[in-house]
Amino acid sequence: MTESTAAPRPAPVRPVPVPDERSAGYWEAARRGELALARCAGCGTFAHPPSTVCPHCHTADPDFTFVVVPGGGTVRSWTVIRDSFLPGFADDVPFVLVDVELDAQADLRLIGRLLDGTAAPLHQGDRVAIAFEHPTADVAVPAFRLEAVTP
Amino acid sequence: MSGFSARSRVAVVGYAQSPIVRHADRPLGAIALDVARSAVADAGLRVDQIDGFTTGALLPTSGNHAVVDGVSVVTSNWLAENLGATPRYVAGFQGFGQIPGAVMMAVNAVASGAAEYVVVHRALHNPPSGRYHGNPMTTAPGAMQWSAPQGFFGPLAMIALPFNEYLQRYGATREDMAAVVTEARANGARIPWSYWHGRPIEPRDYVDARVIADPVCILDCDIPVDGVAAFVLTSAERARDLPNRPVYVSGYGMGNPTPGRLGGHWTLDDIQGAGRVVADRLRDTSGLALSEIDVPQLYDGFSPFVWWWMEAIGLCGEGEAAAFCRDGGIEVAAGGLPVLSGGGALGNGRMHGVPQMLETYLQLSRRAGERQLPSATVGLACHSSANYGGAVLYTADPL
Ligand SMILES: [Zn+2]
Repeated sequence: MTESTAAPRPAPVRPVPVPDERSAGYWEAARRGELALARCAGCGTFAHPPSTVCPHCHTADPDFTFVVVPGGGTVRSWTVIRDSFLPGFADDVPFVLVDVELDAQADLRLIGRLLDGTAAPLHQGDRVAIAFEHPTADVAVPAFRLEAVTP
Repeated sequence: MSGFSARSRVAVVGYAQSPIVRHADRPLGAIALDVARSAVADAGLRVDQIDGFTTGALLPTSGNHAVVDGVSVVTSNWLAENLGATPRYVAGFQGFGQIPGAVMMAVNAVASGAAEYVVVHRALHNPPSGRYHGNPMTTAPGAMQWSAPQGFFGPLAMIALPFNEYLQRYGATREDMAAVVTEARANGARIPWSYWHGRPIEPRDYVDARVIADPVCILDCDIPVDGVAAFVLTSAERARDLPNRPVYVSGYGMGNPTPGRLGGHWTLDDIQGAGRVVADRLRDTSGLALSEIDVPQLYDGFSPFVWWWMEAIGLCGEGEAAAFCRDGGIEVAAGGLPVLSGGGALGNGRMHGVPQMLETYLQLSRRAGERQLPSATVGLACHSSANYGGAVLYTADPL
């Protein structure tokens, strides 16, 4: 048995998004600290994630534009990830994922990490606000924080 | 009005299944050849009579495992070619719900005359190395960019969200699910080919099991295995001349298409809405009331599917399944509904809808041996969740 002389393996990293022609506006807005959603030019409804067609009016030419929305929403469900299949999250477990219905449009759902930690009590209907986490210096990923409960 | 002219015109006439093991000592394709030949022989046929093949060949993993035909998957084309068959009809089902999907295609082929004898098979593989769902991706292009960067990845997180949504909405608890999982394992423990043969569990084992993505624990998930099953379908007319008692396909239904969301984002509303669609399609195609089903084999690749299928087909009301199961309603040894009498996926291993189809076939053909139910006239074999799968309705007599 000999010890390897190779440099230690770098720690696994979280997968970073690779923007494309349909998603660039979303990720650019996130870097500015804003949530922007794709809106169909034909019917004016949001689609997330944006596909090549509009899921609402079914036009094949939705000409989506990214529109900044306030990013608030309501918790519909959540889970605590205690063991991630993505090695890059090994140092982050346990963490909470919330399934949020955005105020921007009925049944428009976004899943993000809840940055309040696993001890924060959660209920269906809890209010959350958009937040951003930065797994690397030039990447911002939308997440959520519980809105402060007014006494 | 149904217009489903294939009703009871196609029948299952034979089957075979390999042992269900963690890692087989032969390649998956070799096992598939053996199983297909055995199924054809069981049906009283020769391979050269088989002129149709269907399957859904998906390797159901979020891991980065190689997909190699004959090794980690077995397509119908591979099977037909390597059996030396010369089929007129070969087709693969593209979605989840591979078992109802492949059966539907086989039924349509036989009813239309595109094929006379069709082998429907399913080959499942547990890769020998690497974590089954593990994926070392460091970049998330395409669909993955919307979910993986925030750590929403893989089927356990996928099922955890609607599972918790259900618990919260209806005031059920994780402990209520013990009745489902222990029932699957109790029945699987009595089945010789099951990976879990001789290994039932107690409710305490479930409650204490390691939670991976709240509320999903390791025992809510079926275990990855190597295994192959095959069934032979032909017309009701030809079935009369064959040795086994035919089991007729009398209806089917799938729930898709489903709303576009983040990859793997299944909401409870989507699941329940699709459940109503599947139930309607089963009624339309069969002309039966679903209350006539006496062998309801519900899919359980993740345990909450059982609750959702129970409610979808009306075995209990919406939001009532947890209490129904907790109170012994599906405990077959105590006279409960036989929704998991075949052990399901939790009691056999990750055979993806095969345990449901196999148990339905065995019960309705009265080949279920010591598990034979006294009343087995209308069976339902579900696969996946209604929003990405469906069910096939079988009858012991033609309708
Ligand atoms: Zn539109």
